Amino acid sequence: MKKFVCSLTILFFAFQFSYSQTTLKGTVIDTSEKKNLSNSVVSILRKTDSVLIAFTRSDGQGKFQITAVKPGTYLLMVTHPTYADFMDDLQLLDSVATDIGQIMLIQKSQLLQEVIIKQQLGAIRFRKDTIEYVADSFKVQANANVEELLKKLPGLTVNKKGEITAQGEKVEKVLVDGEEFFGDDPTIATQNIRADAVDKVQVLDKKSDQAEFTGIDDGKKTKTINLKLKEDKKNGYFGKVSVAGGLKDNYSNEAMINLFKGKRKIAAFGTMSNTGKTGLNWSDQQNYGGNNMNTEMDEGSGMIFFYSGDDFDGGNFNGEGVPKSWAAGGHFSNKWNSDKNNFNGSIRYNKVNVKTGGSTLTQFILPDTLYYNNERRNSFSQKIRNRANGSYELQIDSFSSVKITMNGGMSMSQGINNFFSEALTSTGQPVNRSNRTTTTDGNNNDLNSSLLYKKRFRKKGRTISLNLSQKYTFNDSEGMLNAINEFYTKNSLFLTDTIDQKKVVENRMFSGSSKISYTEPLSKSIFLELNYLLGTNNSASLRRTFEENGSGKYEALIDSLSNEFDYHILTNNGGFNLRVNKKKYNFSVGGNVSGSRFRQTDVIKDTSLTYNYVNLFPRGSFNYTFTQQRRISINYDGNTRQPSIEQIQPVRENSDPLNIRLGNPDLRQEFNHTLRVFFYDYKVFNERNIWVSFYGTKTDNAISSKDFIDTLGRKVYQAINKDGNYNLSLYADYGFKIKKLNLRLSGGINARVSRYNNIVNGIDNVNDNKNIGFRLGASYSKEKKIDISLNSSPTYSETKSSIRKDVVTKYWQFEHNIDLTWQLPKKIEFKTDCEFIQRQRTAVFADNNNVIKWNASIGKKILKNETGLVKFGIYDILNQNIGFSRDITNNYISERRYNTLMRYWLLTFTWNFAKNGKAPTSMFGD
Amino acid sequence: MKKTLLLFGFLATTIFSHAQFLVRGKIEFERKINVHKQFDGDAEWLNELKKHIPQYNITYFDFLFTGDKSLYKPGKENPDNGRDNWGEGPAKENVVYADYSKNTFTSFKKVFEQNFLVEDSLKKIQWKITSDTRKIAGFECRKATAIIMDSVYVFAFYTDEIIVSGGPESFNGLPGMILGVAIPRISTTWFATKVELTEVAETELKKPVKGKKTDLATLQTTLQTSFKEWGKYMQRNIWFIII
Repeated sequence: MKKFVCSLTILFFAFQFSYSQTTLKGTVIDTSEKKNLSNSVVSILRKTDSVLIAFTRSDGQGKFQITAVKPGTYLLMVTHPTYADFMDDLQLLDSVATDIGQIMLIQKSQLLQEVIIKQQLGAIRFRKDTIEYVADSFKVQANANVEELLKKLPGLTVNKKGEITAQGEKVEKVLVDGEEFFGDDPTIATQNIRADAVDKVQVLDKKSDQAEFTGIDDGKKTKTINLKLKEDKKNGYFGKVSVAGGLKDNYSNEAMINLFKGKRKIAAFGTMSNTGKTGLNWSDQQNYGGNNMNTEMDEGSGMIFFYSGDDFDGGNFNGEGVPKSWAAGGHFSNKWNSDKNNFNGSIRYNKVNVKTGGSTLTQFILPDTLYYNNERRNSFSQKIRNRANGSYELQIDSFSSVKITMNGGMSMSQGINNFFSEALTSTGQPVNRSNRTTTTDGNNNDLNSSLLYKKRFRKKGRTISLNLSQKYTFNDSEGMLNAINEFYTKNSLFLTDTIDQKKVVENRMFSGSSKISYTEPLSKSIFLELNYLLGTNNSASLRRTFEENGSGKYEALIDSLSNEFDYHILTNNGGFNLRVNKKKYNFSVGGNVSGSRFRQTDVIKDTSLTYNYVNLFPRGSFNYTFTQQRRISINYDGNTRQPSIEQIQPVRENSDPLNIRLGNPDLRQEFNHTLRVFFYDYKVFNERNIWVSFYGTKTDNAISSKDFIDTLGRKVYQAINKDGNYNLSLYADYGFKIKKLNLRLSGGINARVSRYNNIVNGIDNVNDNKNIGFRLGASYSKEKKIDISLNSSPTYSETKSSIRKDVVTKYWQFEHNIDLTWQLPKKIEFKTDCEFIQRQRTAVFADNNNVIKWNASIGKKILKNETGLVKFGIYDILNQNIGFSRDITNNYISERRYNTLMRYWLLTFTWNFAKNGKAPTSMFGD
Repeated sequence: MKKTLLLFGFLATTIFSHAQFLVRGKIEFERKINVHKQFDGDAEWLNELKKHIPQYNITYFDFLFTGDKSLYKPGKENPDNGRDNWGEGPAKENVVYADYSKNTFTSFKKVFEQNFLVEDSLKKIQWKITSDTRKIAGFECRKATAIIMDSVYVFAFYTDEIIVSGGPESFNGLPGMILGVAIPRISTTWFATKVELTEVAETELKKPVKGKKTDLATLQTTLQTSFKEWGKYMQRNIWFIII
């Protein structure tokens, strides 16, 4: 032992400065027994701040010696368990060995101090063994700190050193909102807490951590003060106003504000734009439009976030045409009673006018011939939508909660569509021509509500949840159909069909369902989940067609094109899932069986049809975690799909007389197998990633189609069952960073093979589709200076139909992107991006489809704290943007073109304002 | 009262006066990370997340010591820690071997996919001694505070009843064993839950050998350059790796 102490002494002085050292020696003894105390700790502390400079332990004779300490003024501290600490000033002189002789330690004894409790009614509460002071009841000066508040509290004293005594006992711990230490660190905001930030001061006898942990009271208690902070200290607002305009008549304006007082939030927004923005963008939606986030926790797959969005969401218009839109909304939310009650409510309004125009060129591949179809269209539509959402969540206790949600909407839509189409033979002879105009004027209303009850049990892993939901929709519309269809044979007009009708449609639907789920832990790592659902759906569909009755009014009912049906569906669905969770892997197997009864009643003919069917949903999954950054998961899903009633027994209608559907009463269900494999590996140090995913589906008895195209170019189609359809796709991505160059390189491959079987004009046809795409990317970034990224992706497509092996469609498409963000001096930012799209022409589509879409903007941050932004931007500088899509399905190949936004410029001014807060950043940044 | 005091005095002498200063034994540390505090901000999704994950991540470590050597390594499993270990991150299962007579330590740290073997001299920490005391695992401990890595506050509780000047992770340099450490900035505490007077053979203290050899200064530079774009979250992790 002596040896050991010796070595310790040497060790701790090895790093002291070697010049001008002094030595201190002495002996530690017990006063009462007059015996030498071994193993006492003798420490030398710096006098100014009590920093430990050196220490040693006394030897078997109670003797100690410390060398290698710089001369100066110190504190000498000698401690020994069960003895009171010895503290004294110590002066060490240069090159003189100081012998301080005997240090006498006294055995510990403590005097109990007198207990004084003063009471002040109202402001002080006693609960169990806690005394609670309501901070606001005790007057302190403005800007006073907590210490001053404590001095005012009866029963508490604070001495000069800042030590607190409560009811005569020394307070050992000060907690802030129940947390120890986290109030001690001066770098943490809770330090220097102002008195007016404190809600309650709680004085309690805290049980030892062990007792709290085990629940067994070991009788050890420490006086503790807990400062409960006020929740409503945060009052303020934040918001944004942005005005943008460009000649001739482009605009995009928005304004939004969020006022908050503690947990209560009130927000409002308004937007108007004719440059593609139809509402708030994603992150603004979270801050001003109301939170629509849902979360679920699942032991197996972790946390799931999902956003129950609706068609109000999405800031940018990606569709066809040029939209003009107006949107407005308001949101209110509040949480109270320690967040146990949570209410959210919002209302929204949206109006969008869209003008679209375009053309479609389609090639029909038939066994003996080819057809071409040219279609031109233009339309105008207006949609006005109103929606209200509300939810209330109550945390009943720490084990159970209830959530009630309700939402309803009313919308009106109007539209007018003009179509002109002509079908041509492969030699360009006309087959048919159609000129069609439709108008609609409709209303859609819906009301939905649900109640979700969740309960956890004391047994870990045992849970139950009950979900009741209801949905009601009511839609009606009125419109006109005007069409002239001309059919040709051998280049001469053979038949003209004129339609002039009024259509009135009414649909009502009411559905309700209740679902109960239960999870039982079979062992620490095995869980059994059971679920059962009962659902009903009742709907009524009314369709009436009128023609002119001779007096200019559309009142003569056409029986053959009018109908009224009632539908009733009853579904019972039950299933189980067995889940095994281990540290490295987890897997689950299970499935659901659903039985449905479907009844269709023809109200006019007074007949009804009933179908009963059973759907199976087997599933299984396996996940393996090699390391935190390397995982693989494999999932299998199987499901049956029933034919739709339209496929079995279609309702006759004539809105598109060139496409006629036939029913198939013998149609059977199809069964889909889906396999998903996902692997990822990430290295944090060089940011190297590997992602590989595979997705495959195979369909047995697939519901496919049997098409017959007659010599008049009319398509008659019917659903049939076919085997052998599949779809396989593989995606892989690899990327890494060259740290020295700040350069990130990445590459990927995307391949897809699919097969679709159908029957064309009586002949079995196999359509094979192959796609392979590559991607190469590079990005360079220098923090707060420049960001550049380049991407290039060539894709090759090939399509073959067995009925015409000689007609193969194959083409390349190249897409190149360049993005640049450059931070210039004086808070100026320059941004530009350019997209080059090259589409190889094919035999059918010989038009030039190459596009260079180039955008650029320059912005400058202005005002104090960079709250303002002035920006000038040009969209599609070269005025080359076209709406384009190429679609290859079965034996049809089509190319669509449509009008879309082209070159415009905008000058934008944005002002962000805030008081006591700012917009929280969203989960994925802005 | 006199009687109890007397009795206490008697017990104390029997226990402590007869050289019951521990030089070998085994300490179990409980590391408690406040997971909720790791998430900054008041965004709604964060509040949702917090609702679903436990506030604390608790892990156990064993600290074996014989005279001038010690080994700190992951201990018993906590069955409450699910698969989704939210407290997990780099350097959360360190193994630290210290040799106090040579003033050196060897530490195995797994930082994402990279295993490091840090070999360096024991850290020199400027401890400020206070008069506060607290009982941890039955031992009266004195509080000391320090600032490490320029700005990170550390609160430590040590007992002079254990002679080895070690502690959890690579904390050391106090006149006794550190039985409690709290670092508010990383919302983490280490507290001894039990101290066993078992005979520990020197052979049980196995020095870690796996990993890429480095020293503290080099490791810190490596981390700082590798993770400079990661921001606040990584800064917290760097502190965690370096302690």
